[in-house]
Amino acid sequence: MTAGAKKRKEAPRLLMGNEAIARGALEAGIQIASGYPGTPSSEIIENLSRSAAERNIYVEWSTNEKVATEVAAAASFAGLRALCVMKQNGVNVASDFLLHLAHSGTRGGMVLVSCDDPGALSSVNEGDSRPFARILEVPLLEPGDFQEAKDMTKWAFELSEEIRNFVFLRSVTRMSHASGSVIIGDLPAETRRPAFRHKGSLLDPDNGPVISLFPGIPELKHGPQQEKLRRAADIFEKSPFNTYQGPEKPELLIVTSSACSLYSREAVHLLGLKDRVGILKMGTTWPLPPELVKRHLAGTDRILFVEEVMPFLEENVKILAAEAATDLGIKYFYGKKSGHIPSVGELNPDLVLSALRKILNLPSEKDPSDFLKKAESIAASAAPHRELTFCPGCPHRASYWSIHNAIELDGREGFVCGDIGCYTLGFLPCGFGTLKTIHSMGSGTGIAGGFGQIRRFAMNQPILAVCGDSTFFHAAIPALINAVHHRSPITVIVLDNRGTAMTGFQPHPGLAVSAMGEQAVDIDMAEICRALGARVEIRDPFDLEETQRTLNLMMEEAGGAQVLILRQACGLSPEKKGKKLFEVKVDESVCVGENCGCNRLCTRIFRCPGLLWDGQKKTARIDEVICAGCGVCAGICPSGAITKREAQA
Amino acid sequence: MRVFGPKELQTDIIEKGLCSGCGGCVDICPYFRSHRGKTAMLFPCTLEKGSCYAFCPKAEVDLDELSMRFFGRTFDGSPLGHHLSIQISRAGGRVSSPNFQAGGTVSALMAFALMKGIVEAAVLTDREKLLPLPRLVKDPSEVLRCASSKYSAAPTLSAFNRAVREGIDRIGVVATPCQALALAQLRSNPLQKADFKDPAALVVGLFCTWSLDFRAFKDYLAGKMDPSIIRKVDIPPPPAEIMEIYDDQGKREIPLAEVRQLVLPSCSFCLDMTAEFSDLSVGVLEGRPDLNTLIIRTERGMEIVSQARKEGFLFTEDLPEENLKHLAWAAANKKKRALVKIKAEGLFNTGDGRRAVLRFSDEAAGAILAGEDGK
Ligand SMILES: Cc1cc2nc3c(=O)[nH]c(=O)nc-3n(C[C@H](O)[C@H](O)[C@H](O)COP(=O)(O)OP(=O)(O)OC[C@H]3O[C@@H](n4cnc5c(N)ncnc54)[C@H](O)[C@@H]3O)c2cc1C
Ligand code: SF4
Ligand code: SF4
Repeated sequence: MTAGAKKRKEAPRLLMGNEAIARGALEAGIQIASGYPGTPSSEIIENLSRSAAERNIYVEWSTNEKVATEVAAAASFAGLRALCVMKQNGVNVASDFLLHLAHSGTRGGMVLVSCDDPGALSSVNEGDSRPFARILEVPLLEPGDFQEAKDMTKWAFELSEEIRNFVFLRSVTRMSHASGSVIIGDLPAETRRPAFRHKGSLLDPDNGPVISLFPGIPELKHGPQQEKLRRAADIFEKSPFNTYQGPEKPELLIVTSSACSLYSREAVHLLGLKDRVGILKMGTTWPLPPELVKRHLAGTDRILFVEEVMPFLEENVKILAAEAATDLGIKYFYGKKSGHIPSVGELNPDLVLSALRKILNLPSEKDPSDFLKKAESIAASAAPHRELTFCPGCPHRASYWSIHNAIELDGREGFVCGDIGCYTLGFLPCGFGTLKTIHSMGSGTGIAGGFGQIRRFAMNQPILAVCGDSTFFHAAIPALINAVHHRSPITVIVLDNRGTAMTGFQPHPGLAVSAMGEQAVDIDMAEICRALGARVEIRDPFDLEETQRTLNLMMEEAGGAQVLILRQACGLSPEKKGKKLFEVKVDESVCVGENCGCNRLCTRIFRCPGLLWDGQKKTARIDEVICAGCGVCAGICPSGAITKREAQA
Repeated sequence: MRVFGPKELQTDIIEKGLCSGCGGCVDICPYFRSHRGKTAMLFPCTLEKGSCYAFCPKAEVDLDELSMRFFGRTFDGSPLGHHLSIQISRAGGRVSSPNFQAGGTVSALMAFALMKGIVEAAVLTDREKLLPLPRLVKDPSEVLRCASSKYSAAPTLSAFNRAVREGIDRIGVVATPCQALALAQLRSNPLQKADFKDPAALVVGLFCTWSLDFRAFKDYLAGKMDPSIIRKVDIPPPPAEIMEIYDDQGKREIPLAEVRQLVLPSCSFCLDMTAEFSDLSVGVLEGRPDLNTLIIRTERGMEIVSQARKEGFLFTEDLPEENLKHLAWAAANKKKRALVKIKAEGLFNTGDGRRAVLRFSDEAAGAILAGEDGK
């Protein structure tokens, strides 16, 4: 995208939704972008960081989402346009600051992009970030196609500057990660000069201090904020991002937004209902423009809401309908509440089809498309079934092996509290079922700290936590401080794989490089922990014996919080990918296989995808193509049948 | 003998607290490991029959079968088991150590066997601070380092299993009764492997009434002293009712009644006080903590004792009748207590396919139950 950025007025380009959002931000003239990695949002910051030098903008991966919004807000206070990006879970993290920011207001245009993941395709939950707009009382935009993704992002900055508050823009996986054609616009030639004006009066929004509250006098900040929201609603009444397709008086009105508007169009088209069903696609979903909505409600008696995760549009439209009931009369609503639309998971055209059939009493003949089933059957025949597992050569498999063994050996029913990252899979067989609690980032450490305190009531189970290296900086530090301070006897294991691996190796504060590829200060997590007063050990998880031995000692001696850093780069990291450290082989004559003394430990329990069981020869063997050459399995084979030899370069 | 698999070992023995931590199932495979005196199953193993179960001295032990195999007759329940002779003994002039638990008979015999090449390696029990540590010893001088009794459970047999895997085929062992029983099962080739050869060249059994749970013992001592500087632990003969602990600061005494709270539950299921399935069994001579009681059970044992005596490694004399009577009384008591317990738990000679701890004739059981009365 950067290459052609200067060329003007050309044919539509194929852009990924996230690229379109990044492009929109560039066209709006942002000078600052910040974020925290998280699928499906990460490509936005990655794209911008690639344009950073050329466009002279500052881009950073912040320590966490709250910090990211604070960084962007600062730029806004100084009059610059700033973008802040995260996935839906990140909004939870940022929300504390956001509530303050919504009160204080902004100056330069500021847009917060949240990429939600309905169906939790690559998330631990499918939280809906839209209700935050209502809680925070800021405007919410939802692009319905790729062109809108770009245009709406650009326009969001204008709106933000018009109402002097940040604007929330919500994308979803199918919007962010799919591609479509986009006609791009010009990039601004000028950049703004920042200045933070703070000498004006306390109530001067342009020149005074930027503060979020007057204690005891909410009217001073909260009142103007609500006024901004009313202005936004007014503007939304005429917004081109809200579109209607269909007859003037439809039998059924679909109210929808985002990717669901595409599914709705597809379903209406497939059933040939163009003349019976209307589609009101909302781009400005909070606050809803009341007049526009009421106008459309007036034309029909029956309304179907097509949206994912929460009944957000559904509830807000129902409120408007109730308020206008004397004019509009009784309406019939269909959606999540009525059960016509599933209340969890992603939607697709099929699900909309069946809702339409039910409501309109259409015969349920064989679907003209049978979309999903067809796609699934093609996918099933083409791809072999694979269980969720760690990659070959993944340090997490080795780490969990040792953690699991140490806990079993210890024999006091110890357990591990986990959080979010690739290592979340530790609750599955690939991690030997080691994780026993999983919640938000950093919460494994916090929960472990709590468990540690209840040991005083005669609970003697050893308590452990795991977190990733990026997570350590993101949210584990306060929890660790709490545990150290209160002498909570826990062992926190940092699975340090040298990068934010799960989302594509974005740098974090422990590495000496920034999002823009510039030199950064690498922060030594071991020194942080030591400075807190925690005992710290650092081991290589590929050394199974030593890791397990260390853990058993730490569990035995846990007097207060202690930290074990298991450091080994991710198998897919740029420095490792495609390079084998070892040639690994199985000596078939030594392999015990299914007999007593082994019973297929490597392929039945350890289960690295690089190890195969040869059912005919009754021995294990290495799949040379898949094996990453980490050599760890050589250390688990009880008979020494797996050998490793340093690979020739 | 009925052989089951790892799953049954886990549910019947380990989860029910019947495991004595002998190490019989440890280091055969990657699934059973020992840590601080406790045996743990790391991962599920799906085999229906395993060495682990077959060797375990608490799982389906058929004493008639074992007695037939080693002594050519069924188990009769007599207090001291099959034996040829019982003597008083101590180490001869050729060996001495301040670490001997009692007369040093055990260390002297093992050092002698190694020196003469009767055994290639000896499986002994050393310690690291308070923790008993199985050790495979090849040099006679190292035998003395392992002298003295460690009163908590030790996975000694794991070192035997390791020695077998290393291909050593004449192994000497010093074993408590449960360890010796596990070894006896191992030696009778329960999985009927075609190329099997008995690798045990000399089994020296120790007398044992109970052993302690390591973690409980350590925690108990930690409240009273620094367990890491303990040099020796001893239990002087009754009526003292104390345990003596020697460390850098001298001797401390702790009441035996408190120590008994820390005994492994598994020990109350153990009939054997004198390690009946061994070549030689050694204990402390009643009233003379510097001497041993030595039970000679096999021709092999008899031969080694007489050679060791000839070469100045061992000193023996006759055992007075009074001592013998008292020893038999104590051994009979242990048998009776344990059999009553096993029967009460419904784990003796079970029928209907239910798994038992122990099997032998009702006749022998009757003899045991009619015998001495324990306190
Ligand atoms: C747990 C336990 C309980 C005992 N209870 C009694 C008893 O009730 N009555 C009695 O008369 N004698 C008992 N003994 C035996 C006694 O303490 C002496 O070990 C025995 O008399 C031999 O003395 P020694 O001087 O020849 O031993 P040493 O020459 O000092 O040699 C001792 C040997 O014992 C081995 N050993 C030490 N600890 C263990 C262990 N935990 N498991 C396996 N091997 C070990 C060592 O490898 C060493 O070779 C017990 C021993 C143990 C280990
Ligand atoms: S762990 Fe070793 S002995 Fe067991 S199946 Fe694998 S290669 Fe064979
Ligand atoms: S008693 Fe011995 S063989 Fe039986 S389970 Fe325990 S350690 Fe294993």
